[in-house]
Order: sequence, then structure tokens, then C-alpha cells
Amino acid sequence: MSRWAAESQNKRLGFVLLIAPAVMLLAVFLILPMMSVFRASFYPGTSALGASGFSLHQYYKFFADSFYVSVLLETIVYALITSLGCLLLGFPVGYSLARLPPTQRRVRMILIIVPLTLSLVVVVFGWLVLLGRQGLVNNILMGIGLIDTPKQLLFNRFAVIVVLIQQFLPFMILSVMNVALQIDPVLEQASTSLRAKRLRTFWKIVIPLAAPGIISGFTLVFVMTVSAFVTPRLIGGPKAHMIGGLVYEEVLITLNWPFGAAMSFILLAVGLGTLATVSILIVRPLARGLHVR
Amino acid sequence: MSVDIQDRLLSITGVVVRWLVYVMLLLPAIIVVATSFTPGTALTFPPPGFSLRWYIAVWESSLFMSSLGLSLRLAALATVCSLIIGLAATFATDRYVFRGRDFVRGFLLSPLLIPTVVLGLGLMQFLIWIGLNQTFIGLLLGHLVITLPYVVRTLTASMVLFDRNLEQAAMSLRATPARVFRTITIPLLFPGIMSAMVFAFVTSFGNVTLSVFLSYQDRITLPIRVLTYVEQNYDPLVAAVSSIVIFVTVFTIFLADRLSGSRSVI
Repeated sequence: MSRWAAESQNKRLGFVLLIAPAVMLLAVFLILPMMSVFRASFYPGTSALGASGFSLHQYYKFFADSFYVSVLLETIVYALITSLGCLLLGFPVGYSLARLPPTQRRVRMILIIVPLTLSLVVVVFGWLVLLGRQGLVNNILMGIGLIDTPKQLLFNRFAVIVVLIQQFLPFMILSVMNVALQIDPVLEQASTSLRAKRLRTFWKIVIPLAAPGIISGFTLVFVMTVSAFVTPRLIGGPKAHMIGGLVYEEVLITLNWPFGAAMSFILLAVGLGTLATVSILIVRPLARGLHVR
Repeated sequence: MSVDIQDRLLSITGVVVRWLVYVMLLLPAIIVVATSFTPGTALTFPPPGFSLRWYIAVWESSLFMSSLGLSLRLAALATVCSLIIGLAATFATDRYVFRGRDFVRGFLLSPLLIPTVVLGLGLMQFLIWIGLNQTFIGLLLGHLVITLPYVVRTLTASMVLFDRNLEQAAMSLRATPARVFRTITIPLLFPGIMSAMVFAFVTSFGNVTLSVFLSYQDRITLPIRVLTYVEQNYDPLVAAVSSIVIFVTVFTIFLADRLSGSRSVI
């Protein structure tokens, strides 16, 4: 008995030693900071250091001002459009990647991984050059005679959405590809051999099976978009606002931390709420498509 | 007949979308690299000639060079630390069956689901509270939190494919656990470890959203330096700096791809 007991004791110790550093790291440097932001959002004043007291002032300030509420809505709309755009563009690419032979897939994977891993500022700067007055897009438009003088392509909402989609597209592609790799192509062939049209096969077989990848891709893109601030700041200019940018300004420029904290928690709550609603209303029914006639 | 047309339309759309996506993904980076070699002072594409003057300007700029050094050091340290922590944790969740395993896995990946702005503000406040604000170690700890989930996710995926029988065989041949680990486990996990390291490195090296809250005075990471520069200036110098970021990233990926041999890195 003692030998077995000692062995299981050892096993448990090994397990704890292995998992402890990671759990400790996140407990101390993820959970505690989040809690401290949450606490700070209830301070009544404009400074978080040495502050005390409890009030809903910051939350009241946010919802009483139509500017903040409209920026919150704008942020959520951007996030929904970006996630949807990534899904529409990324799904075909991710799916076709999964169906390629490994050697061909490898080269294309690198084409997707490189933009994914590039620093955000570099990508945004690339778009600034691309869409600038002397940029490629203006040159092409003038070359084919569509416009006579360079047009201002930056600093509008459309540009912000295009750039956001480009930044986060690789995450969607990889999520879809990872799931599609596990779907047996035989299922699609079976459906086709039973004379199902491609569109029907797509809705009844491909989409339901790929749903976990769609959900994880959608979630990732959505979360990254709601907290974006570099893109709206540099590409959107004064015309496009996002909550991430406001938090950044409030914390690093105005130095009003309690209000920044309240804004970031409103963003967190509304963002996760929207995400849950979308997944219950749209994604789950799609995933169930398999059982529906 | 109509089925035929519908199907064909669908597949043509597919091809067009795929091409559009690849071009769209790569264009910004290609434009940055191309314009960085301009001999002029304006950011134009295509560039009017070829020169390295802006790279020389970067080399001579102590601000950019010190930020580059800081970012490289930070990314390397964050990679090593999060690999060790993440490898241990992934091992634990993979090899031990325990209650709440899915919860722990979810917890380890949770930094991916928290908007980085929120995390950035929280860390900044918390580090002041414990007296680690404006220190390199504070910056490093912040980066560990965001690189860890990538390491855990990549390693978990590669451990699922792991054939445990090989370890059993080695052990039945009386190899010591340490030897099994060194000669069987690590080599089999090598591609997964390489890709985990690549992801950790490039995530830390390129991070903006978190670093912007944790950088300070003389310790400003390269992406933040670029961001503050772009907000005020618009010249080929920043194209050259950005190209250096691109070269570092691409080089890391290719190196890892080479090292892990025929087995795909990602």
C-alpha cells in the first residue's frame, strides 16, 4: 500500500509543480490587474492613486454622454462588420487550404502567417502609404482615368474597416483551416454523389462541421477588433472613433484612470454580451444545420 | 444545366476570393519594403530609384536602435520564459487526468479573450501598486501573459498528435525517464516547440496594444517608437524601420521552418 500511496503522492506533486508557474503567472498578472481595474472604475474622482470611496459616477458619466454611447455602438458595429467580413473572405481560403496537399499548403501558410505575425503598426503604416495621395491605389485610379486628381482615401470609416479586416483575416483563416483539416472529404463526396447541389452540401455538411472553427475565429476577430486603437487612430483620424482609442487617451493623455477603467469594463461587458448573443442567435443554429431537413 | 452554372459560378467566386485575400494580406508589407529603398524624401510607390540612405539613417538614430535592441531582448526573454512555463503547464494538462481540466485549459488561453486595452490598463495600475512600474521586469511579465496562450495553444495541438507508445517502448527497454524525455519526447515535440517559440517571439516583438501602457522613457519598444513617430512624421525613415521589423519577423519564421525540417512548423 505504501508504495502505491507514495507513487500517487509523487505524481500529484509533479503535477502541481508543472502547472503552478503558469497558473500563478495568470492569477497574479491577469486576474489581479483585472480586479484592480474593476475596483478603480468605482472611484468617484479623476485619479486612481490613493483614491478611496465607491460611486457609480464614472458609469453615469459614460451613459449620460451621447458621444460615448455612440462611440460604443460604433465600436460594436465595426467589430461585427469586421468579423463577418473576415468570415466571408477567410472561410473559402481556410477551407481550400485544408484540402490542398501538404507541400502546396506549406507555402501558402507562410503567406498567411507573415501578415499575422507582423506588428500592427507596420501593417497600418503600410496602408497609410498604400492609400496615401501618392500611393498605389490613387496612382492606379488615375492611371485608368477614373479620377483626375489624387483622392483622399484615408480618414473614413470604410478605410478603417478594410484595414481591420486585413489585420485579423489570418486568424479566421487559420481557425477555419484547423477545423476543416479534421473534416473527412468523403462526407462532401457522399453528399455530391447523392446529387446534392454544391450549395446544399455547403450549408448542410460543410458549415455545420466547420462551426467550431467559425466560432473560434469569429470570437478572436471580434475581441481583437473591439480593443483596436492603432487603426482607428491612424487610419480613421477624427472621423472614426473606437472605445479602445478613447481608453488610450483617457489613460495616457488625460490621465483619468477611473473613467478609463469604467470605459474598458463597459467595453468588456458589452463586447462579451454581443458575442454571446451572436453565437446563440446565429452560429448555434448554423451548427445544428446537420440535423435540420 | 442550371446546376452546372451555379456550381461553376461558385468555384470561380472561390478562386477570385482566394486571390483577393492573398494580395490584400501581403500588399501592405510589400509596399512598406518597396518604399523604404527610395532615394527621395517622399513615400511614393513605385519608388523612383534605389538607395539605402534611410537604412543608414535608422542605423545612425540612437532612438530607433536602442528600441530595436530592447524589443529583441524582450522578445527573446519572453519566448524562453513562456516556453518553459507553457511547456510544463501543457504537459500537466495533457498527461494528468484531473477534475477541472477543461477549466484550467480555458484559463491558460483566457488572455486571448480579454481586450488588450483592458489588460494593459490593469497591468499598468497593478505594477504601480506592487512597485514594479517602469521596470524591464514589469514589461516582461506583461509580455509573458500575452505570449503564454499562444505557446499553450500550439503545444496542446502538437501533443494531441503525439504517439505515447514510443515513450512506453523506450521505458520498457529500461531507459530512464530523463533519457526518454531527452531522446523521445523532446525530438517528437520539436516542431511544436519551434512553432510555439515563433509565435511567442513575434507576438512579443510586434506587440503594440500592451506595450503602449508599459513602455516608459528610455525603455520604449520598437513598435511603440514607430507609432509615436508616425503620429507626427510621414517619411521614408519609418518605412525603413518598419521594413526591419518585417525582416526580423520573416527571418524568424523561415529559420524555424528550416530547423524543424520536413515537418511543417505551423
